[in-house]
Amino acid sequence: MTELAAMTPVPTAPKRIPTDWKSDLMQRRIRKRYASERRFRFIGLAAVSLSVAFLAFLLITMIGNGARGFTQTDIRLPVNFAQTSLMLDPTALTGPNAEAALAAANIQGATEEAAVAAFGPDGADYISDGAWLSVRAAIRKDPAILGKTVDIAVPASTHIDIAAKNGADPEIRAAYQKLEATGRLSTGFNLNFLTGSNSNDPTLVGIWGAFKGSLLTMIVTLLLAFPIGVLAALYLEEYAPRNRWTDLIEVSINNLAAVPSIIFGLLGLAVFLNVMHLPRSAALVGGLTLALMTMPVIVIAGRNAIKSVPPSIRDAALGIGASPVQVVFHHVLPLALPGILTGTIIGMARALGETAPLLMIGMRAFIPAPPAGITDPATVLPVQIYLWADEVSRGFVEKTSAAIIVLLVFLLSMNGLAIYLRNKFEQRW
Amino acid sequence: MSLLAILFLVLGLGLISWISARMRASRFVRGVGSDRPHSLPSYHGWYVGLWVTIPALLFLAVWASVSPGLISQAVLATPGAANLPAFGMERAAVLSEARAIATGAVHGGFHAQAASLAPAYRTAIMHYGLIGAAVTLILAFAGGAFAFTKVRSDFRARTRVERLVMGALLIASLIAILTTIGIFGSLVFESWRFFNMVSPLEFLFGTQWSPQTAIRADQVGSSGAFGAVALFWGTIFIGAIIAMIVAIPLGLMSAVYLTQYAKPSTRRWVKPILEILAGVPTVVYGYFAALTVAPALRDFAVMIGISNASSESALAAGIVMGVMIIPFVSSMADDSIAAVPQSMRDGSLAMGATPSETIRKVLLPAALPGVVGGVLLAVSRAIGETMIVVMAAGLAANLTLNPFASVTTVTTQIVQLLTGDQEFESAKTLAAFALGLVLFIVTLLLNIVALRVVKKYREAYD
Repeated sequence: MTELAAMTPVPTAPKRIPTDWKSDLMQRRIRKRYASERRFRFIGLAAVSLSVAFLAFLLITMIGNGARGFTQTDIRLPVNFAQTSLMLDPTALTGPNAEAALAAANIQGATEEAAVAAFGPDGADYISDGAWLSVRAAIRKDPAILGKTVDIAVPASTHIDIAAKNGADPEIRAAYQKLEATGRLSTGFNLNFLTGSNSNDPTLVGIWGAFKGSLLTMIVTLLLAFPIGVLAALYLEEYAPRNRWTDLIEVSINNLAAVPSIIFGLLGLAVFLNVMHLPRSAALVGGLTLALMTMPVIVIAGRNAIKSVPPSIRDAALGIGASPVQVVFHHVLPLALPGILTGTIIGMARALGETAPLLMIGMRAFIPAPPAGITDPATVLPVQIYLWADEVSRGFVEKTSAAIIVLLVFLLSMNGLAIYLRNKFEQRW
Repeated sequence: MSLLAILFLVLGLGLISWISARMRASRFVRGVGSDRPHSLPSYHGWYVGLWVTIPALLFLAVWASVSPGLISQAVLATPGAANLPAFGMERAAVLSEARAIATGAVHGGFHAQAASLAPAYRTAIMHYGLIGAAVTLILAFAGGAFAFTKVRSDFRARTRVERLVMGALLIASLIAILTTIGIFGSLVFESWRFFNMVSPLEFLFGTQWSPQTAIRADQVGSSGAFGAVALFWGTIFIGAIIAMIVAIPLGLMSAVYLTQYAKPSTRRWVKPILEILAGVPTVVYGYFAALTVAPALRDFAVMIGISNASSESALAAGIVMGVMIIPFVSSMADDSIAAVPQSMRDGSLAMGATPSETIRKVLLPAALPGVVGGVLLAVSRAIGETMIVVMAAGLAANLTLNPFASVTTVTTQIVQLLTGDQEFESAKTLAAFALGLVLFIVTLLLNIVALRVVKKYREAYD
């Protein structure tokens, strides 16, 4: 026994020298590792900062450009009606034919004459092409001014407007300084920008027409996508049998959520316009197209909200004798509704910012008046931004940015509302 | 009577029948056991109300689509229509003008004949309008009467109503399938017509893209060329290369920093701010790229000595698109890193690795499939993105590697081909649908692969 023990060599591990962390080599290695740790951390911070900085840059550029779009430069134009060629009898403006008389009179020519008389031969270039609209409004308000000399505030032309906002050629700056010296320039809030519609002249454009188009389109989208999305989510989550058909529905919904939006535009063009012959450029078709796009978003959000309602609620309702439909509509749906609404608002915000599919169905027409109904030709806010971005005139730069600010304010407040709802009604079971 | 008036009338009748049936049902004797009424009163109300409205509204919908055809047939049968121009544009113009006069939309007309047809139109509209209204109301009353006789104590109204609700749920979920079929069907159908004019091989592998169609046969350069390789390259160059070079490092490192290093309070603030980047509409990015980024990049290119720099460069569109994608990549990476089991991280830290070594050597390799899936989804989103490239990338189909040159993409060309003057039968218009089909298939494949990768990876750790 002892022999055997003596014969078997005892396995001796090679003598382990403990690492000397204090040695120079190790200290250098640790320093290197810590430096790399700091570098990595810094790169991460830089990535976050860069992304945030880009957002800040984008917003600052838009606000910097767009803030000026909300103001306009006015010229107090002295109009001596007796001196102009305007043939208009004040008494004709009180009767029933007042509008016809106003329409027949050459107010535009008279306004230009007044500008030339006031500011010299270039005078007509200083006032906006639509300055005569202000003159006409003044006459309509008080026909007695005909025959007198009155100061009427009219919008300045784009050149003067840009010069007033510090950015123009020297030549126009000189004209601007000359005007400024007369003390007839004033800068005020551009109310017309919020109440007007599209125009060829940047001093006359407004966003109300496009905004109303957006509103009508969103109403159509919401009325279609919300009920269909919620019902489909309820079916898939609560009732659908596990079979091939249900799988097919789920796969289609998940894929539709990822299909590029322009494909929906092609679908709208081929099906709604060319097969069903619905009116082109109308809010109805835009709403239908966007509803198909938004529905999968609502279904996916709705399913998640329904899934988070605990089964005990269903069991309790079933236990006291509710039918499966009553369980869902009386108990599950009300509890899931905040989550569904959050998803709906996010989906609607996405639809509100969407441009490409609406270009496909012709919502890029020039619409000088707000649409009256869902079958009228209309345009929407993002498309209006796209159209203005293509305009050559420099006056459109600030108007485009101003329209972007309006759009962003709406989108951010919708997203803010969604976050607020989620935080307020979020329930942990 | 107008359609809208009939619609409201039917809905009003439905409401009345709902109330009356509910009242009748509420007077049932409330017995016990088998004498107890089967359904609550409101279910009887719904049963009758739905019988009143649904058949009537279905008929109204059918009638609204059929009656214009019947009206114009009736007008054409009148003697006044005998000497109409035989066919074509003028005939249609006269008819539509006569209709406009008859409905009072316009007064007086361009075609003399239109005015003479207007009375015939007016009587026909009146005639068929009355028929439609009468049948709708008869259906509503018949349905209501039939349903009302059934309101008895032992009638199973709830079962019937619930069966209808289930039907509505099923139809709603089938709309998703219908949409998918609609997209695929319309794209394939129009593309098939395109491929009858242009061979698919030329489309997929040709390098010449100049989609004009000839006005005269002998015109110079009349043969439109539909070789889309340059478009595919431009799409990949902007969406899958330049945008990803921007988005992957920034998105991934943001996610790493926010999940591993940042204090919870910082994270709570920065994450929503990053998500704003995803919520900004693409048209705003496009405007920003065209107005600010592109001119800056062109000046930069000129400064470093690239003379032929375009103001509509691939780089400007790609960079801005990359920024748009950052939150997308970041949130996918966030999810994947969060799914790595905590024990792996703890193990690595316990062995003495620094946090960055843990992230680089343990967390990221473990999360890699999820990150790759996220990147594939991001690529599919980038190549389908439209407005940025429409506004910031050019229209010239160049096969180039120079990021300062102008390239064009599939989505830009779809917009270009379908806006402006279009006649629907031309190869130019149909080419847009062929491009759409390619885009649809590619994004679909990318999504399927990405979702499969992500799913498989999730299962590995569950």
